[in-house]
Amino acid sequence: MGRYIIRRLISVIPTLIGVTLVIFLFQRLIPGDPAVAMLGEHATEENVARIREQFGLNRPAFLDRDALAEGDLAGFFDSQYVRYFRRLAHLDLGDSIHRRIPVAETLKERFPATLELSLVSMSIALLIGIPAGIASASRRNTTLDGVTMVSSLVGVSMPIFWLGIMLIMLFSVFLQWLPSGARLSTGVEIQTITNLLLLDSLLTGNFEGFVDALKHIIMPAVALATIPAAIITRMTRSSMLDVLQEDYIRTASAKGLSERVVLFRHALKNAFLPVITIIGIQAGTLLAGAVLTETIFSWPGIGKWVYDAILGRDYPIVQGVTLLIALIFLLVNLAVDLSYAALDPRITYD
Amino acid sequence: MTDIKLENGGIEDFAVREHRSLWLDAWRRLVANRTAMIGLIVVLVFILSATGAHFFWEYEARLDLDFGSKLLAPTLTVTEESPNIHIFGTDKLGRDIFRRTVHGGWNSLRVGLVAVGISLSIGGILGLLSGFFESIDMNFWESFALMTVLGAGLGAISAWIARQSFQIILFAGLGAGSVFYDRYFTKNKLRYVIFGGAGLLMGGLSGLLVGPFVAFVCGILGLGIGLMLSRPVGGKIFSNIVMRVMDVILSFPSYLLAIAIVAFLGPGLEKGMIAIGVVGIPVYARLARSAVLSVSQKEYVLASQSVGESHGRMLFRHIVPNILSPIIVQSTMGLANAILSAAALGFLGLGAIPPEPEWGAMLGDSYKYLSSGAWWAVLFPGLAIVFSVLGFNLLGDGLRDALDPKIRA
Repeated sequence: MGRYIIRRLISVIPTLIGVTLVIFLFQRLIPGDPAVAMLGEHATEENVARIREQFGLNRPAFLDRDALAEGDLAGFFDSQYVRYFRRLAHLDLGDSIHRRIPVAETLKERFPATLELSLVSMSIALLIGIPAGIASASRRNTTLDGVTMVSSLVGVSMPIFWLGIMLIMLFSVFLQWLPSGARLSTGVEIQTITNLLLLDSLLTGNFEGFVDALKHIIMPAVALATIPAAIITRMTRSSMLDVLQEDYIRTASAKGLSERVVLFRHALKNAFLPVITIIGIQAGTLLAGAVLTETIFSWPGIGKWVYDAILGRDYPIVQGVTLLIALIFLLVNLAVDLSYAALDPRITYD
Repeated sequence: MTDIKLENGGIEDFAVREHRSLWLDAWRRLVANRTAMIGLIVVLVFILSATGAHFFWEYEARLDLDFGSKLLAPTLTVTEESPNIHIFGTDKLGRDIFRRTVHGGWNSLRVGLVAVGISLSIGGILGLLSGFFESIDMNFWESFALMTVLGAGLGAISAWIARQSFQIILFAGLGAGSVFYDRYFTKNKLRYVIFGGAGLLMGGLSGLLVGPFVAFVCGILGLGIGLMLSRPVGGKIFSNIVMRVMDVILSFPSYLLAIAIVAFLGPGLEKGMIAIGVVGIPVYARLARSAVLSVSQKEYVLASQSVGESHGRMLFRHIVPNILSPIIVQSTMGLANAILSAAALGFLGLGAIPPEPEWGAMLGDSYKYLSSGAWWAVLFPGLAIVFSVLGFNLLGDGLRDALDPKIRA
């Protein structure tokens, strides 16, 4: 098992290198100069050159073949990509070109916001999806099943940004129950420990802050949870339907076990593997889908930040965030594979 | 000798039912499925209204401005406030939302269709080939083609460094040579020496034309390439390479990748199609590969292999028809997804260029005016997205049941 984990962790590295290569390829291909984007159209050539020098933008992206032709072997390898890699080895993600702040610093501030949103959404999705799927499978072809299936199909078909807009329209504009954006109201302060506001406010016993943070997170979290909840419902239902046809379920019922025991102890445990797979995929999608949700709810997370960075050609931010999301995606995949072994003793890794 | 008269060939077997093809069977099951029919009707309504509007209902987006009637609520009758009937209301520029929603369908559906076409053709072919060669050995000419392309691709690196494009041809030749060597000579360790040496010489000697350092780097690179090419790459490795590339694409957050592609190509509807299409490639590649892998274990494929059918015939007569159903289902669902992604790009201002109507872009335009209470400006384009996507999803669900009745049991 330990050896398997190490092997999988090592196999993450080539994929991550591939990701950085693709990012750099794009960076080279995307028209527009970050230095010009930062200084504006009317910047003097001198200033542009200075910024380009400072951020190494004057270097070629991968390898400097001109330096090699002149006999400069060290210059050959002195490219943006190699410099980036050298910095990455020291866990340095570089500085934002526009704001001149280390990317890692802003990331530390903004990533917890996205993480909190994703965690709350995932919890909502699981709390809705799994019970709904089980209920729908155990009462197959009833009205309950029909309603669940139709609503899950509507959920899958929902553009989350539109749902977000409609929620704001209803609860913020017309009813004025919930705030339409940001993580906290102005004036409310929470002492930050982990930067997960719900957790921090509980740890510091700040009840008022907790309620305020909850009020802010509930709409974006629900909007973001819609699609995963619908997909988890469908997956749980179809997986449960498969398992419920098995002989051991009939045996268990014939023994006189209560329906609850049969459903939860015998069926759910065996139906859970495909559900776990879907949950893993959705966890990755949640982080990525945050771009839209964060834009609508002015949520100060990494989604909106990286979107602005792509349009503003602020490459270090794009590189840092993409790498982080890809890494999380790969680690979630690994966790999913490991949970197979934990759930099903027949599956072993060696 | 008695005269025997035979009518109807003399045999009448009532147990034999009329002949129906697999597809006709599936169609009957689809028609019998109520939800699938609802999906089909919804999809048809959208397709017909969008194409009908595009060809027969003139709309010049650039000239559509009427500040006198901006942000009017939906009306079904003519009132003093609004002299015209706007059943969906008007937006901030006084444009009739119903008209723009119907015309927007043309753009949104087109994006979905083209994007799925791109992902399906590229991803499908990649998946088909990797699945096929993973289970069936390549023949001489297939191996020849693969190694030539591989040699050219690797040689391109060395060619780029030395600014000598002829190196591509040299290394392509080296790749092709490896296939011939494998066929006509004994398979011993000598091949590593021969091909490594040839690569070293190819890179090094042509590099010398530029300078000693270039010769050094290209020589070492050539040695590496030569060693890599010394054994013809088998189907398993080919499939592995393709799937690893797909993994890299998949590990990008899909929206970010699409946004980055649009940032590279510049905004516009056509660019959005390409971006969404590229992002979808891995899905079809994986699906096609796994379907091919399971089909190629079937007896009929083994049989066709053992009677010596050509690979092309095996692929297109036996394998492709049998993997069509999952691909059709996935494409229908993929259309739904592509419409959603297109709307998302449009919403972020990266899709259709205003004032061109497109559902996502209409939402993005109007949601800034939310506080004015103009709910109709965001409700109707959004509903159009939901219903069209729902239609394709229902149809896809029904198609799955119709094409694979075993699942239903």
